[in-house]
Amino acid sequence: MGMQGDFFQLLKAQGYHFGASGGESHDQQFTTATTILAFKYRDGVLVAGDRRATAGNMVMYDRTDKVLEIDRHSVMAIAGVPATAYEMVRILEHSFKYYRRTQLQELSFEGKLRAVSKLLKDNVAAALAGTGAVAPIFAGYDFEQETAKIYFYDILGAEFEGVEYAVSGSGSPTIRGILHYVNTWGDQLLSAMTEEQSTVQALRLLTSAAEFDSATGGVNREANLYPVIKLITAQGIRTMPEPDLKRHFEASVARSV
Amino acid sequence: MYEEPYKWVEAVGNRRQYLDEQFKQGSPVVALAYEAGILLLTVSKGTPKLYEIYDRLALGGMGHPADLEKLRFSLLEMAHVEGFNRSPSDVTGSRMVKYGIAPVIKQAFEEVFKAPFIVKILLTELGAKAGKETFLVINYDGTFDEGSHCAVLAATKAVEQDMMKLLRAEPGGRSLEQAVGVALQAWALGDRLQRQALEADTDHGRESQADSASTDLASLSAYVRETVKEKTIECAVLDRTQPGSAKYRALSPDELGRFLPKDVRASLS
Repeated sequence: MGMQGDFFQLLKAQGYHFGASGGESHDQQFTTATTILAFKYRDGVLVAGDRRATAGNMVMYDRTDKVLEIDRHSVMAIAGVPATAYEMVRILEHSFKYYRRTQLQELSFEGKLRAVSKLLKDNVAAALAGTGAVAPIFAGYDFEQETAKIYFYDILGAEFEGVEYAVSGSGSPTIRGILHYVNTWGDQLLSAMTEEQSTVQALRLLTSAAEFDSATGGVNREANLYPVIKLITAQGIRTMPEPDLKRHFEASVARSV
Repeated sequence: MYEEPYKWVEAVGNRRQYLDEQFKQGSPVVALAYEAGILLLTVSKGTPKLYEIYDRLALGGMGHPADLEKLRFSLLEMAHVEGFNRSPSDVTGSRMVKYGIAPVIKQAFEEVFKAPFIVKILLTELGAKAGKETFLVINYDGTFDEGSHCAVLAATKAVEQDMMKLLRAEPGGRSLEQAVGVALQAWALGDRLQRQALEADTDHGRESQADSASTDLASLSAYVRETVKEKTIECAVLDRTQPGSAKYRALSPDELGRFLPKDVRASLS
């Protein structure tokens, strides 16, 4: 009864079809124009993303939210085709709630990860056709192991645990190197950083990504435009408020060049 | 055998009698508005009777657990599919009841060859603003009532009316603690009336029921103290101040303990 609490099965049974196959590949390059990142810090996991949405050379929108809360303890940061990514987030959001409400218990963290993989797997045809590729980062608090965790995925649904940090999107090669450097030879491991230090770090990383990747939006102080930064701890998810981002940016990120 | 209309009417009448019998020992359910949302309360013997349906919808039930489960699942399916395909704001209690489960319950009730649902259902919906709470009650025959401020489920209409009278006499804008107190009194009143009716049935005598309808606080508290010992007080809220989209929260035993009147708390521990 109740499809064992599986909302995705229920949707399918009602005729819903996710990941419409894209048909022929058009050899078009749909880049994952974005930078998203997540790393472990002292109290949990920090997830951050820039806010630019592009189509080819065009900047479509500069206030996109790519770090999306799925429930009180998990977040998905999205890189790739936004239409598919947002649909995935909506399905996941309803799936986790549906599971909790039908089964009268939370879906385990592993169960949540499986749900993400399953959606990506169903989306393979569209991903390969180039019309629906999504490479997300999933982060959340695992109550069984009492720790916050980070996972990242390729567009085919392979799941990797990003032990200390994970990055995705077109700006990610730039900051991947930086993260490796900081975490290996820096004064302090990422996982030892305080909330404030890690926020500064995330702002610096996204600013660097924007420096070398035109599809990543940086900080625009005149427009009061800052990246989205969310912090996941056992208490839940907290979005870093804009005034705090502004304060950190001005104190520790901006330079007069 | 039911081809003749009057036989069908008779069969439905028998069915009503049969169903009324089934609820006599059920535990009443109370729902009422408080300052931050809606409180639901009942006293159960293990099987839970209060459930989360959707972001702003909660369910309380009386009757057979298997039937309640069946209807709970149809509500959950309807709500989530609708919320996904359209928007969470399109998932309203009134639509769920009128076009969703009330017709199903009515049909099952009138199909005299099949088993009816042995359930009474209370669905509450938290409005976006204070004072916009909706309370829907569906009877086992599929008839439903919509109200605001409060609603109850009990074995008979008469008991429900007495409980409602008690709830309505209390002023609005209560704190959660006050609401728990009032809800518990209403539950005690309903349960005591039901129990006395049962005793009167079995004794074949008309015991004086004058005091059973009395809403005297001390006697209600005493009743709660003696009945809740081997049972669980189940309490849930739809809390407008809760962060995120889902507003349902079951009160933990600790939290509930803090809100219970002192004498009841003592009898629980």
